[in-house]
Order: sequence, then C-alpha cells, then structure tokens
Amino acid sequence: MGTFIQLLIDGLSTGSIYAALALAIVLVHQATGMVNFAQGAMAVLSGYIAYSLLGVGLPLIGAIIGAVVISFFVGALIERLLIRRFERGDEHTAVVVTIGLLTLITGICAWFWSYNNQLFPSLFPNQTIPVFGASVSLRSLGTIIVILVIMGLLQLLFVGTKLGLALRAVSINQQSAAFAGMPVGRLLMVGWGLASALGAVAGVLVAPQLTLTPGMMDTALVYALAAVILGGLSSPIGVVAAAGIIGVLENLAAVYVPFIGHDLKVAVPFLLIFVVLILRPQGLFGRKAVVRV
Amino acid sequence: MPLLELEGVTASYDSVQVLDGVSLSVPERGAVGVLGANGAGKTTTLRAITGVVRAGGSIRFDGRDIRGLRPDQVAALGIAHVPEGRGTLGDLSVRDNLRVGAYLGKDKAGIARDIDYCLELFPQLRERVKSNGSALSGGEQQMLAVARAFMAKPRLLLLDEASLGLAPSTAKNVYQAIRRLREESGIAMLVVEQNANLAFSLVDSATVLETGRSVLTGPTEELRAMDEIRRAYLGG
Amino acid sequence: MSNLLKKPAVRWGALVVLVALAVVLPLMLPEVANDTIARICVFAVAVLGLNVVMGYGGQVSLGQIFFLGLGSYVTAYGATNDWNIVLTFLAALVLPAIAGLVIALAAARLGGLAIAMVTIALPIVGLPLARRLDHWTGGSQGLSSRFSDAPEWTGLYHDQWQLYIVLVIAVVTFVLVRNFVRGKFGRALAIVKENEAVASSMGISPYWYKVLSFTIASMVGGISGFMYMSVVQYTSPETLAFHHSITLLAAMVVGGSATLAGSVIGGVYFVFVPVLTNAINPNLTAMLQGAILLLVLFLLPGGLASLPRRIAGLRRSSGSRPGAPPREEAATRAVQKAASKQPTRKADQ
Repeated sequence: MGTFIQLLIDGLSTGSIYAALALAIVLVHQATGMVNFAQGAMAVLSGYIAYSLLGVGLPLIGAIIGAVVISFFVGALIERLLIRRFERGDEHTAVVVTIGLLTLITGICAWFWSYNNQLFPSLFPNQTIPVFGASVSLRSLGTIIVILVIMGLLQLLFVGTKLGLALRAVSINQQSAAFAGMPVGRLLMVGWGLASALGAVAGVLVAPQLTLTPGMMDTALVYALAAVILGGLSSPIGVVAAAGIIGVLENLAAVYVPFIGHDLKVAVPFLLIFVVLILRPQGLFGRKAVVRV
Repeated sequence: MPLLELEGVTASYDSVQVLDGVSLSVPERGAVGVLGANGAGKTTTLRAITGVVRAGGSIRFDGRDIRGLRPDQVAALGIAHVPEGRGTLGDLSVRDNLRVGAYLGKDKAGIARDIDYCLELFPQLRERVKSNGSALSGGEQQMLAVARAFMAKPRLLLLDEASLGLAPSTAKNVYQAIRRLREESGIAMLVVEQNANLAFSLVDSATVLETGRSVLTGPTEELRAMDEIRRAYLGG
Repeated sequence: MSNLLKKPAVRWGALVVLVALAVVLPLMLPEVANDTIARICVFAVAVLGLNVVMGYGGQVSLGQIFFLGLGSYVTAYGATNDWNIVLTFLAALVLPAIAGLVIALAAARLGGLAIAMVTIALPIVGLPLARRLDHWTGGSQGLSSRFSDAPEWTGLYHDQWQLYIVLVIAVVTFVLVRNFVRGKFGRALAIVKENEAVASSMGISPYWYKVLSFTIASMVGGISGFMYMSVVQYTSPETLAFHHSITLLAAMVVGGSATLAGSVIGGVYFVFVPVLTNAINPNLTAMLQGAILLLVLFLLPGGLASLPRRIAGLRRSSGSRPGAPPREEAATRAVQKAASKQPTRKADQ
C-alpha cells in the first residue's frame, strides 16, 4: 500500500508537468488555432535561461522567476515574428512551422549549452514526508502544489479579469473582438507569452529530476499531446485530468507490469488512446466538431 | 461637416475589383441606408470603413482620413460595426458578450448601467442573460450583436444586413428596437440592408449601389416614390 | 522551353538518355559515388512515402522513419534467417503496411492534427521497443546482414549491383505512386486535403482516404527500409531515432511537398545536409536544420521543386495588364471567398 501511494503521488507529480505543458498547448491552440509542437522545447529553453541566471549569481527563486518572465516575452516575440504569418492558413502548415521551431530551439540550446547533461537544483529539499503510512517525496508534492496554484491563477486571470475576457474573445472570434476595440495582435502575443511562461514553470520544476539537456522535454511533449488527444483541444479541464491519469498510469504500469518497465512506459498513454478512441472518437471531454460548409 | 464621408471609394479582393467609386455621407445623428443587389458591394463598403479591407479613395470620419487604420483602432474612434452574420461570441454568456462590447470603457458603474439598458431595450436578452451566445436564436443573436455594438458608446453604428436569415416578424422587431435605440441615444447609423422596406423604416436617406458604384442617392420619401426602386427593391 | 518538353519525340529521347545513363554510370563511377547515389534512392523513396500522406494527403506525419526502420528490421530478420529474397521484400512492405493501417484506423478517426500527434510517438516508442525486443532485433547492437552481394554471373562489384537493385525498386515505386496520385484516388485525396467537408458532401470519405494514404505511406516506408538494408547492410534502433524523423520531414518540405521531383531532392537533402552541418559543428546541426526548414517555409513554401515555377511566375507578373471591371458573379465569388477567410473560430477538434 505504501508503494502504491508513493507511485500515485510521483505519478501525479509527473502528470502535473504533462498537464502544464498540455495546458500551454491548449492555450496556444485556442488563441492561434494551431498545435505547437515546440512547446516542450520552449520549456527547455526556459530551463536553460534559469540555469544561466543561476550562473550569474541569482538565487534559485530569482532565477526561476526571471526565467518565467523572460519566457513570457520570448513566447510573445515568437508569435509576432514567426507564427503570425501562418495563423490564418492551413493548420498542417502551421504545425510544420512549429516543428521547425522545435528543431531550431533545440539547436539553440545545444549550441549555447552543449548536449551534456547539466545539473539543475530543485526548489524543494530532497526529503520524504509520511502520508498515510507511505514515504512521499517532498519534491513530488511540491511540484503538484506549485503547478496547481499556477493553473488556478491562470483560471482566475481568464475568468475574472478584463484581460482574460479579451483573451477569450480573441480566441472565439477575432473579428468581433477587433470590432469591440480589442488589440488582437497584442492579445495573441499575450496568449503565447502566457503559454510560454506556463511551460517555463514546468521546465524548471522537472529539470532537477531529468537534468537539463536539449531533448529533455521530448518525451514529456509526447505525453502532453496524448493528454490533449484524450482530453480534447477544447477542454482545459479534460486535458489536465487526462494528464494526471496518464502520469499515474504510466508510473504504475512501469512498476507493476514487468513487460512495460520504465523504458516502454511511454507506450501506455497510446494504448489508452486506442482504447478510448474505440469508445469515444471525440476524446474523453471534447465536443464533437460541427463544420459548416 | 458630415460625421462620415466617403468619396470615390475603391476596394478589391485579390485581383477582383469590388468597389469602383462609392460615395455617401452620414450626418451627425443621421441614418443612411445602403441598398443594392447581392454582390453590389454593400458589405465591402462597411468593411472598407472599419479597415477590414484596404480601400482607395477618401474615407473621412469627423473630417479625419481613417483609411489604413486597423479595425480596433477604428473602433476606438467611435465606430461600431455589427457584422454580417452577427459575430456572436458563442462560448461566452450574453452578459460576457456585452462586457466584450464595453471593452473600451473604463467606468465600471457606467458599464453596468449600459448593460441594464440593453437588457431593457431587448427584453429577450434579459431572459437569456446567463445563456451562452451560441444557444440564442438568430433574432436574439442579432439583438445581442446590436447591443454589443451599443455598449461601446459609439458615435456611428454600422449595421450589416441585420435582417439576414430572420423571419419577417423577427426582423421587424429587431428594426423597431434599433429605431428606439436611435431615438434615445442619437447614434448615427449606416445601414446596409437588402430589404428596402425595412431600411426605409429606419433611415432618412439612402444610396443605391450597383456593381461597386453609387448610382442613386436621395431622401427616403423620394426614393420610395421612384418607379425603378419600387420595381427593383420594393416588389413593384 | 516547356513547349519543347511536351513533344513526344523529345520525351522519349530524354527517357532513352536517362536509361542509358542509369545503366552506364554505375559501371564508371567509384564505389563511394555509387553508394551515395544508392542512399539517395533509399531516402528519396522514404520521402516519397511521406509525401503520399503528408504532401498529397495533407496530414502531418512524424512516423515515416518508423516504417523505414520496421522495413529494415524485417529485411534483416528475413535475410538472417535465409528467407527467400522475394518473400523478404514482400514482408518488408506488408508488415509496415499493416502497422500503418492499424495506426491510421485509430488516429484518423480523430480528425484534425491527431495523426501528427500520434505519429510523434512512433519513433519515440519505436526506439526503446527495438532495444527491448532483442530476440528479433538484436537489441542495441542491431542486426547486420549481407544479402545483397552481386551474384557471380553478373561480374559486377557489390556496390554496382546494389545500386542497380535500388534504382529499379525506386523507379518502379515512383512510377506506381505517380500513377496513384494522378489517378482517381489521387484526385479524391486532393479534395480531402483541400476541404474535408466538401469531400464528404461529394461522397468521398475523408476518413478512409486518410487511412488509405497513411497505409500506402507506411508500405512505401517499408520498401525504403528494404532498400536501406540492401545498401547499408546494418540496422539498429538508432535508425528510427526521433531526430531522423524530423530530418525526413524537413527533407520533404525543403525538396518540395507533393511533388515527385521534391522527393528526389529530399533524398539528396537527407543524405547530405546532416553530414554537412555536422562537419561545420556538431552542436550547430539542429539549429541549422531548424533555420533551413523555417526559411523554406517562409520564403519558398513549395520547396526547391517549386523554384522553376516561382521564377517563371515572377517573370510573367512583371508584364501584367490591369484588371477589367468585374462582372457581378466574379465579384460575389471573390467576396464570398474573402468572407470565408474571415477569422471566425474554427470548429473545435
């Protein structure tokens, strides 16, 4: 029982990382109508930025906040300079652009910081605390809590502020938003900036465990996309729930199903997708698409 | 000086010229109709004003040339565009739709008052105030679109085919409400409308477009009496 | 120039010249050159497969390298166990096709970018899977197999024989795919790519066409895997690494998506560019490749294969007449087309 709880919490912890990345992907899709395959790479870049800030002497919390803020602006600039061209066009072309971006950003990380694994410190001490008789990692708990808080703040932004209303309006109907006086271009930049900042949080939280390397979030991206498929691009809650489930299931499968083990656990979400798809083609929470010709 | 003045306005999509010399003017507090057949360029004229489409010629609002401005910049000047198809923000509630309309306003209390006014002007909206925009009927969405535009406290309202897709009685109701809005607020209006009868019930004068050109302009009573107009647009 | 190319005599003449070159050159070129050309054929076919699903079909796929890898493993396994060579070839194209079919049946149901999101898992799951199933795959060591040596009676060197083999396979595959995309199925696929709703209303099922194009792509990928094994004579989990997947996609885009010539250019890209960028600086490789891909997308979206067309277009447009006043229908159509491009939110996936 103790092991199970440990695995559960650890699974929720990795699940929360996937959830943050998946939510960033959903945010970008709602704002600009494309799936950003570079979201993971952008999070890695944020991790490296924090790493460099540490290198110049900032305390860990300062480096993290600095990286998150810088990532916001990097995301906004990427939207303005690279992505804006492709927003009204074919979504497949847009995806290829994000794949190019993924390669470019990974390459930038490799060039500046090399392919060697870099150590990144954790916000939380490497201790365990007793929970229901199991020794649960403080880092896992901390990760879950931080990400939940950030997601809560984002939700507050969207539902309770004028900026949030504007962001929502722009993602529903850009023309109506513009006719109401909303500066659509600037709001799209903010959307990408927020997604990038969210990814940065995920990046700095997972870096201690995975060690910083340019391809650090490649696998996480795959999980995040699986969560997006399962939860549906139109449902942030569904995506977060799916990510949590994926995190827990893959962790449990790695330990309790010997054939899968740790190296094949990345297959778990896709087995899950296969099963779910047969029953519900629109994903667990998404809505059926209606397209008028 | 007229509030809005268009002179020799031209516009094209890709290489097809859609507007080829549109001229009209809307006086302060006035209401002008834009009539014409399908494809004559009526919607494009409004789009040229709001900056959705790039235009040549002269477009002056309050004496100032507004060509080349982005739609949100044109909105900030005091022009509210109710687009063809309504542009309802389907995933937002009616109340949130209205709040979107009031984006440029800064006075919270004033915005709350305006919302109440809209709900009073359009009672059907009050009943559905918590529903999502997409759940509303066509007529209700049209009223919501007009209300959303009003929330911006504009000086000029651009109405694009407000009767499109609506049952005749519903369209009449919508126009009655718009008439009342005009009387009570004094907002100037430029009304694109295929249904000339409805347009004439609201506007003081109108201009007729044919293949992108203004071919006829005059006060409502005169146009109404003309044989050509009667035959082409009023069913003989 | 293009008028000249349309004359049948010129076309047949060119064909004869090409065939003659194809027969004679391998006999004259050094081993390194033959080997390089053979590799280009391998990856040109791989890119061709990707083009079927992504260029012509409009579905982003990050899994093509997986099918190449699978084909190469099947080939290696068959050769190692002394299967009949024709049987091995068939297995190398059938097994990936089945895998592709199964994956597409599930992924295509979701519409939108689901195929892209699912296929990204293929190389990422494939690599550890290849390591794990070491009974069949030789694990991390991989499998090597020499089955493509030149038979005695030909008097050819091995590299020449291999080049002939892959040339023949490549040409046949290209011709078959060309007939497919220019025929009834290809036209239907083009409609699906352009507008799925319109395709449905015409009785063309987007779902089945996506499944079909993905299966063909996988099959062609398997063929390229067989060719890969013939030339390289060794395969390992590294063959289907994720970064190769991206290079293949980049090769398709840079070469020219939805064109046959572009597939060949893509083959050249795949063989040369990673080596070149690595030679400049291994840490710079990914960045250069990403930059190249983005540059092409921005400046020449049709890829290098579209360069002649672009240049011709530029020359033509400098002497154009101003448009005459439009008739009403043309105007209405243009307005409607612009209206349909209005940024109203698309339906959710």
